[in-house]
Order: sequence, then structure tokens, then C-alpha cells
Amino acid sequence: MDQLIAFVPALPIVSAVLTQLFSAQLKRRVAWLSVTATALTFVLTVVVFGMELFGYGSHQFGDLRGWGILLSDPLSAIMSVLIAGISLVVHVYSIRYMAEESGYGRFFVLLDLMTATLLVLVAAGDLITLMVAWHAIGVLLYFLLGHDTRRQSTFRYAFWTFITYRLGDVALILAAAVLFHAYGTWSLTEIFARIQSHPHVISFMGIPATEAAAIFLALAAFARSAQFFLHIWLPYTMDGPTPVSALMHAGIVNAGGFLVNRFAPVFVQAGDVLHWLFIVGLVTAITGSVLMLTQNDIKKSLGYSTMGQMGFMIMECGVGAFSLAVFHLIAHGLFKGTLFLSAGGVIGQARQDDGIPKDDLYTFVVEKRPARRRPPWLLMAAITLAVPILVLGLTHWLVSREIFQQQGAIILLFFGWVTGAQLIFATYRIRTQRIARLFFLVLSSFTVVVIGYTLISHAFNLFLYPDEAFRALIYKASNINVVWFDVLIALTALVIVVGWLGTYYGERNGRKRGRQSGRAWISLYALISREFYLADIYAWLSRVILRSAERLNVWFRWV
Amino acid sequence: MTKSVLILAGLFLPLFPLSMLFNILFTRLRNPVLRSVLLLAWPQIGIAIVLGNSHAIPHWLVVWAVLSSLLYALRALALRDVGLWIGFISTSAWSLLWILADTGAGSEQLKLYALGISIPLVLMSILAAGLERRFGAAYLGLYGGLAKSLPRFSGVLVVVVLAVIATPLFPGFFSMLSMIMKSIPTMPTVAVAVAIVWLLWSWAGAKLLQGLIVGPGEQAATDISRAGVWFFVIILVALVIAGMYWLGAVV
Repeated sequence: MDQLIAFVPALPIVSAVLTQLFSAQLKRRVAWLSVTATALTFVLTVVVFGMELFGYGSHQFGDLRGWGILLSDPLSAIMSVLIAGISLVVHVYSIRYMAEESGYGRFFVLLDLMTATLLVLVAAGDLITLMVAWHAIGVLLYFLLGHDTRRQSTFRYAFWTFITYRLGDVALILAAAVLFHAYGTWSLTEIFARIQSHPHVISFMGIPATEAAAIFLALAAFARSAQFFLHIWLPYTMDGPTPVSALMHAGIVNAGGFLVNRFAPVFVQAGDVLHWLFIVGLVTAITGSVLMLTQNDIKKSLGYSTMGQMGFMIMECGVGAFSLAVFHLIAHGLFKGTLFLSAGGVIGQARQDDGIPKDDLYTFVVEKRPARRRPPWLLMAAITLAVPILVLGLTHWLVSREIFQQQGAIILLFFGWVTGAQLIFATYRIRTQRIARLFFLVLSSFTVVVIGYTLISHAFNLFLYPDEAFRALIYKASNINVVWFDVLIALTALVIVVGWLGTYYGERNGRKRGRQSGRAWISLYALISREFYLADIYAWLSRVILRSAERLNVWFRWV
Repeated sequence: MTKSVLILAGLFLPLFPLSMLFNILFTRLRNPVLRSVLLLAWPQIGIAIVLGNSHAIPHWLVVWAVLSSLLYALRALALRDVGLWIGFISTSAWSLLWILADTGAGSEQLKLYALGISIPLVLMSILAAGLERRFGAAYLGLYGGLAKSLPRFSGVLVVVVLAVIATPLFPGFFSMLSMIMKSIPTMPTVAVAVAIVWLLWSWAGAKLLQGLIVGPGEQAATDISRAGVWFFVIILVALVIAGMYWLGAVV
């Protein structure tokens, strides 16, 4: 088992070296070398995951003078399967997609190195190995995104990614420095054990070391997972090859959620930092989703969709649903990877044919004949509000009753509630004649999704955090004062109820918008479509820095 | 520390404005061998002077050193001449050695750290000489597109620049890590400043690469030989191994 852990990242490294050495002789066939190695790596990760699943216990491998440790635990096992799986798909896709590009061999070398680095990152058992992998990912991504060396624009946007990632590197290094200074070891296992035995004993600059480290770790996660203010690089990296976009959106950008889970023992001692995670995640989720809706470029729209999802993932961490964040990042990785890899094909096909079959479903959804009479809006509003909460509540009650004791879980239920309500409202707006049939179909789908989601997330929780006391501790860390929580929940519920009632009323009776509010909407739309001018602000800032550097050089005569 | 020792030490472990002398000297020397000797010997002399002095290093001197390093890292962003770029990054990196000297790093360790920083810079100056030989000048944005016209040369250049800007697992990475680790307990602001210097190096490195390797690459020039590539590869691999073995252990 111990050796297997080392083989997992070693295989793609060997493949990278061989691909580089034989790319001149094998030409385009060299890709198969890389693909075979990735397939083998995937098989190995599945074996390691299986062993972890069937209780062979956690292991670690290697110790290079206090660092260079690779760890196999539930988190690393499941993340490795995801990385190797997505990497394999991307490798296979790239065989033909990159065939016309120059630097074919180099692309596969970089892809292999990226796979290896990601695998090292998730298996890192000490702070130095973690920092090395974290840093190296940014560097490799820079060269993958800038694969086309002829275009300056590609490198300009790759640089945005690189420098944002470097900001995250710096934060991680400071976190590592605080932890090492406080606990005197690089080993993550030992640090976590010492934190458990002396949670608040050691302080750093007057605050507990765990809290200081958690702040830096959160910043590192924000930079890597494109949280608001550090997100601009994400939608602008579409100039890179599509397989790289898929790998980035499906795997690399999720590293923030992984980091929070890896340092869960640190975060449970830093409840205030978790609250900040929630706030930043929430703002990112909303901003990302709003920005996505205003884009007319499919890839940029997908970029902002990723930003929204990352916000949601960080927010889940903020409410203590750590394992749910891992489930989310896996689910998001799979669907976003699929979307990216098929985006080009879809655009190509859409130019030839709209691709919509003229069957019963098409007639039902698209060529609908609006119903003359609609159900009473008040009744529909009541159903919209009641049905999702019933489905969600019942499902969670059946799977795990103690979930209702957790504040974080209740907050997430609210999001499920709003999503379900939105689904029913969309059904109502279709104005079909056969509303009962459509409603039944929609409700069934919603129920299946909720049951599946609840069961899987519960299983994830048990798998990633088998210790019941620790699970409770995570949720407890994110709790706020009960009275405040109840007040906030009541207010939010009121806003949701009044909001939906208003929406149904407006839908039924028609909305009249004055000239003033119309202008305000257009201004808001302009602001959002220009992405809050953040890219312009950053570009201006970097110009200011470069101009200052130049002025200093002139003053000091270039020596 | 007497004034004369301070001035001498500040000259060889560069403190602004004494650092200007090194940069004048470095830009005047055009011979790559002499430049390499200068890059290797300069900080070692500084270390010998600092270690030969029995007095403790005053705190203000460390702050001055970090500010000097920040200044040169920032100024490196606006450079287009590769020779100057090497000089500025050297100055910025060597100034930081004051932190290690202050936090009680041993004589051998300090010498190794300095060597770990200097060797990639020596490789860089050899490559800069190669550019001057081929195109008449080692200058950003003048020709560009080396990735197309000189693929082997640009491959080596990329890795050497990564080594210079302290990318893992090169020795510079462990040096920077060590500086941050050692300064964070007593001088957290210095640790943050070192991290910012590191960030600026990355920016400067990316700008250098963008100005040299990116572009259509229409100039005809002879690429580096395979033996030349192996020369650089062997040194770089040796650097990684040595860095992991010696510096990785003392972080």
C-alpha cells in the first residue's frame, strides 16, 4: 500500500520524461505513451481508493529529511480518483484536438506534469510538499494556458492566472510558517494531533496560531478558487487550449475546497474565519451567477458559472459542510469538464442544425400552446413555497435527523428551498395546458435529485470524516449565537416568502416599469456586463506599478 | 559593526545605494566568464565580511536590506535589458541574505544559500551572452518568438528563469522559504516583505519570458546544440538535487 501511494504521482512523471525524450522519434504517436500512463495512474488511484473504502486504513510514504511525505487517507484517495479520471479524459480528448497544433509533445509533457503535481498536492503529508505542489501548479498552468507561443494575448491572460496563483502561494507559505513556528513540525498529521491536544495554547502576534494560519489558508483558497476580487483571471483564460480549460475548471480551480478540507482541524479552531468563508463565498456565488447571465460568449459564461460554483463551494465550507464541499467540487468538476469539452462541438453542430428533434417532448416544451386559464397565482405561490421545503425536510429527516441541529445544514436547506421554488416557478411560467403532467415530472426530478444529493453527501460525510465527534465539531465551529441565528433565519424566510408572493403577483398582473427604473436597470446591466470594471482597475493598477518602476530606474540611472 | 565593515558588507551583500556599484560593474563587464565569476564571488565576499564581524547585526540593517531588495525587485519589472535584469535580481536576492545572517544561520548554510541563488544567475548570464551573440543584443521585445525560432534555447531559458525566480524545487525556493520561516517569529513584517519580493520576482520573470519567447519568431538563428542542452540540464538537475539535499534539510 505504501509503495502504491508513491507510484500514483510517479507514473505521470515518468511518462512526462519519456514523452519528452521520444517526442522527436514518435511524432504524434507519442501521445499514446502519455495516455497509457494516465490510464494506468487512474487504475492505481481506483485501487488505492478501493483499499481506503474497504478499511485498509490510512498510510504514508517517504520522509525526505522531515518532508516529502505522501499520505493516503479518504480525502486524498477520492481526490486522486477525480484528478486521474479527469486527466485521462482530457488526455484522450487532446489526442485529436491538439493534433494540428505545434508543440504537440510539449503539451502532453506539461499535461503529465500537471497531473503528477495535482496528485502530489492532494496526497501531500507535510507542509513543504504541499507548498511545492501548490506553487508548481500555478507555474505549470501558466505554460499550459500559454501553449500557443505565437500570441501575446494568450500569455497576457495566462499571466493574470499566474500572478493571482502566486498571491495564493504567498498566503499558503505564510500559513505554513505560522503552523511550523507554532507546532515545530512539517508533518500535517503531527500538527493536527498537536492542535487537538493544545488548541489555543500557542499564539502568534497576540491571536491563536490556528486562527492566524486559518486566515492565511483562507486567502490561499480564495486566490486558487477565484473568489470575488481574485476572480478576474478565471473568465479570461479562455484563450488557452480547450482541454486545459476543462482541466482547470474541472480540477485545478477546486483546490480551495480541498485546502479547507485538508486543514479541517485548523479551521474547527477558527470559527470567525469560517464566517468569513461564508460571506466571501456567498458574495462570489451571487456575483459569479449574475455575471454569467450577462455574457454572450459561451466559454466566458462557463467561466463565470465556475466562479459562482466555487463561491458556493467555499460557502459550504463556511457553514461547516466540509464534506459537502468535496462532493460539490467533484460533481462540478465532472459536469463542467463535460461542458467545456463539448462546447466546441455544440457550437459547430448548432451552425449546421439546431439539433432539436420535432418529437412529443419538443412540442410539449417549445411549441407549447399557452393555456387559456392559469391556476390561481396564490395557490401556485403556496405550492412553490411549500413543496420544496417538504421534499427537502422529509428527505433530510429520513437520512439523518440530527442534521436539523446544525445551523450550517439549515442554511443550505434554504438554498435548496429557493432552488426548488425557482424550478416550480419556471414550470408555472411555461403556461402549458397540461400543467399537472409537467408539474409531476418536475417534482419527480426534483425529488430524485434531492434524495440522491442527500444520500451521497451523507455517505461522503461518513467516509471523509468517520469520527462522529469531529463531524459535530466542524458544524459547531461555524455556529453563531442561537438568538441571532433564529432572527436571521426568520428574516430570510420572510424575505423569501414575500419575494415569491410578489413575483407571482407581478407575473400574473403584469409589471409596469417607469422610465427612471428602466434607466437604472440599463445602468446596472452595463455595470455588470463590464464585470464591475474590475479588470480595468487591475490593468490600471499594474500600469501604475510598472510606470513607478520605470520612473525609479530613470531616477537611479538604471543601476 | 564599525562603519567601514558596514560599508564593505553593504557593498557585497548589497544595500541601497551601495548596491549601485555592483550594478555599474556588472553592466560594464560584457564577458560572460567574468560576469559569472562576479556573480559567484560577490556574495561570498559579503558573507565572509559579515561572518568575520563578531557584533550582532542591528535590526535597522535587516529592514534596510529588505527595503533594498524590494526596491530592486520592483525596478526589475521595468527592465528590458537582460543583463540589467540579472544584475537587479542578484542585488534583490543577495540583500535578503542579511535576514539569514541575522537569524543565526551557520557559515556553511549561508554560503550554500548564496551559491544556490548565484548559480542560476550564472546560467542566465551565459544565456544572455548567447542571445547577444545571435541577435546583437539581449533585449526584451526586440525580436521575441524564441519558442518558435530557437525551441531548444527557449526551453532552457524557461527553466533557468524559473530557477532564478525561486520556483520549487530549485535552491532559491528553499532559501526564500528559510528566510520567511526564520523571520516570522520575531519579524513578521519582514516575512511579509520577503513574500512580496518573491511575488515581484515572479512578475519580472514572467515579463522576461513574455518578451523573449512569445511572438511569431521569424528571425533565423542557430539553436543551441543538444550537448549544450544536456550541459544545462545536468547543472539544473544537480541544483535541484543539491537544493533538496542540503537546503531542504535546513529550512
